[in-house]
Amino acid sequence: MNTISLPALKIEQGPGRALFSFAIKGKDIQSIASISRVKRHEDELVGYQRPEVSNHINEIKKYLESENPMIPNALVIAFNSTVKFVPSEHNKNFGTLVIPIVEDEENKPGLIVDGQQRAAAMREADIDAFQMPVSAFITDDSQEQREQFILVNSTKPLPKGLIYELLPYTETKLASSLQKRRFPARILDELNHRKNSPFYQLIQTATNPAGVVKDNSILKLIEASLNEGALYFYRDAATGTGDIDAMIDVLCNYWSAVSKTFPEAWNKKPKESRLMHGAGMTALGHLMDTIFERYYVDMGQDTVTEENFQSDLERIKPYCKWTSGFWDFGRVEDLADDVKPKVKFDRQAENVKWNELQNVSKDLQKLTNYILARYREEVWN
Amino acid sequence: MKFFFPDSHDYVDPTFDFETEKNNEHRVIQRDDKYAHELFSKPVYDGILVSKAIVDGVSGVKGRYSVAQRQRFFREGIYRFFRLPKTYLTMGDCGAFSYAKEHEPIYTVDEVNEFYSNAGFTYGISLDHIIFDFETAKKKVEGDQLEECLRRQEITLEKAEEFLIKNKGLNFGAYGVAHGWNPESYADSVIKLQKMGYKRIAIGGMIPLKSPEILKVLKCVNDIRKPDTQFHLLGINRLEHIAEFANYGVTSFDSTSPLMKGLKDDKKNYHTSTEDYTAIGVPQVDANNNMRKLVASGAINQNEAFKLEKACLESLIGFDSGKVAKEDVLSILTEYEKLYNPKASRVELMDKVLTDKPWKKCPCDICTDIGIHVVLKRAAARNRRRGFHNLYIAYEKLQLELKKINQVK
Repeated sequence: MNTISLPALKIEQGPGRALFSFAIKGKDIQSIASISRVKRHEDELVGYQRPEVSNHINEIKKYLESENPMIPNALVIAFNSTVKFVPSEHNKNFGTLVIPIVEDEENKPGLIVDGQQRAAAMREADIDAFQMPVSAFITDDSQEQREQFILVNSTKPLPKGLIYELLPYTETKLASSLQKRRFPARILDELNHRKNSPFYQLIQTATNPAGVVKDNSILKLIEASLNEGALYFYRDAATGTGDIDAMIDVLCNYWSAVSKTFPEAWNKKPKESRLMHGAGMTALGHLMDTIFERYYVDMGQDTVTEENFQSDLERIKPYCKWTSGFWDFGRVEDLADDVKPKVKFDRQAENVKWNELQNVSKDLQKLTNYILARYREEVWN
Repeated sequence: MKFFFPDSHDYVDPTFDFETEKNNEHRVIQRDDKYAHELFSKPVYDGILVSKAIVDGVSGVKGRYSVAQRQRFFREGIYRFFRLPKTYLTMGDCGAFSYAKEHEPIYTVDEVNEFYSNAGFTYGISLDHIIFDFETAKKKVEGDQLEECLRRQEITLEKAEEFLIKNKGLNFGAYGVAHGWNPESYADSVIKLQKMGYKRIAIGGMIPLKSPEILKVLKCVNDIRKPDTQFHLLGINRLEHIAEFANYGVTSFDSTSPLMKGLKDDKKNYHTSTEDYTAIGVPQVDANNNMRKLVASGAINQNEAFKLEKACLESLIGFDSGKVAKEDVLSILTEYEKLYNPKASRVELMDKVLTDKPWKKCPCDICTDIGIHVVLKRAAARNRRRGFHNLYIAYEKLQLELKKINQVK
């Protein structure tokens, strides 16, 4: 029978618990191991792996084909007892793992317990010599394989906030969902740490727990503005980044104006001020885009100054109830008697107490719509 | 006769790569995408119709637009947002279908006016409340049912009156809406709308009706139509009756039907001027819901499915460039089909479309651009483009019908 022999390290973790550590060419993995897919054979459960996820595989494939890839975490393979470890003469923990080559997919000596997406990406990727680290154990017991599978796959993911805070300090190619966040996360980082920024140390992150505004609220408003609003004008469509200094200027000018227009609501905990809450940040974020375009697009100004922003913000100030009172969401235009409809179907006035606004999309939309409608009425008309 | 296309975020990524099946990773949805009026070198509609419910959402449920998109829609107005040349017409409506189950319309007339005038529409349709019942010889509308029809008709007329009064000084043309449950009640609505001063009237609630019923309604309203009253048919696309519609005073209509057939119809989803074809299904193993369930439960082998999917695509592309024989394509297609749909076989339908190669004869920009991909049933990049192609065909047919009418005159 054909075999493949690989130098390996034997690691004993307990009585009768031996692990083998070795490296194999990525393209060769499929010749020694297959995937044990979960399914039922006449009511009995066999296998454990879920289906391949193409998007995930493509992400890894793109990374593997990038300039200088590195995958430090090893695949985990369970071998059956046809695989033998032959210790070297000098040290019983070094030696050779002898693995039989079996063509038949059903009877391969190894099953991939962890890393099926990575293995699939290596199968698809255009790479030849990439070496992949492997941790293997030998067992004929499918229960043990299943247990290891559950153990390696039930770890707790990192908190998103920490990942976003780390993002600006990376350069390598990352999964596209993270890649898309990297530039917005960098803007956030600058806003939080530039001394002249109105948000200086106000944004709550993993390393700045004392901040009053949630990082996620700011991240969302930056992303919305990059795609749909003011920051879009400084964005480079080819790379997804752009003129960061110009963007920071817009953000600083606007939010300084906000802090001056609403001094009683600025730099308070969200509990005491809905301005520093997801609702206020979202609504005022959209207002930033609207005011910016009025000056930049409609009036053709090169930059929009803090004073510009502030003079427009003053117009909606009377409608804002960040720290006390009621938002008057039900406002219906008072009509002259002769144009009033005979039957009144218009909804009753709807007032919402300032601190009843929640960080849910329905409330965010309601507040955003209200503020922008008032703005259009006061400033556009 | 003008054709309006009701938009519901129908655009495609122009950079989609049909070989690697990838979108551009930095693409911004909608801004970097293309609408049908941007993809074709000649118009496939005369205008677009956008409803408030699509843009705003309905009672707390989000519409198709994100909050940020919606705000940009208001900032830029409809022409800039859609990158629509001024030669096109635009029409706004409320999307009465989406709140049909409510007791009353969910918007106020002021909100509707604000929507139309801020967005800069050419025309705006008054706030209405749909009537679903329609009387036939066998089925009378009476009792509670009739009460409800009357109530909704009255709401619609009252809103129309308020809408027209408040329309003074606004920059769009107002349409009143006529609803009814039989030809006489439609005529009644039209009489009242004309009395209020409407010269443009949209006729609503006729989507479920059969063509003879629609024609009966139109005949009846035409009898009392003032000579300068123009009708718009909401959601109606019966191209074979265009001449009759025109005789009854219809000057415009709107419909998503050609697009939706391309996306959803199981049988006739690729249209030509003479014949309708069935697109060839090549479902994506990891994106098609049915396939995903089969794979996740272990009922089909994922690797085998992936291999067949890939082989199908490759042989179809090979066929298009003349390198693969039709029989070989069909054999791999049926092998794949056995996996995801063992009960029904579409081999005859697939044979038909591969034999006729209708995409090769179609001069439209989509068919010229993506070739055989237009007849593959497989995710939005292809399916929506096929829908656009159908719009092209529908618009060509309409122009042909209109030419005939003019010749008779």
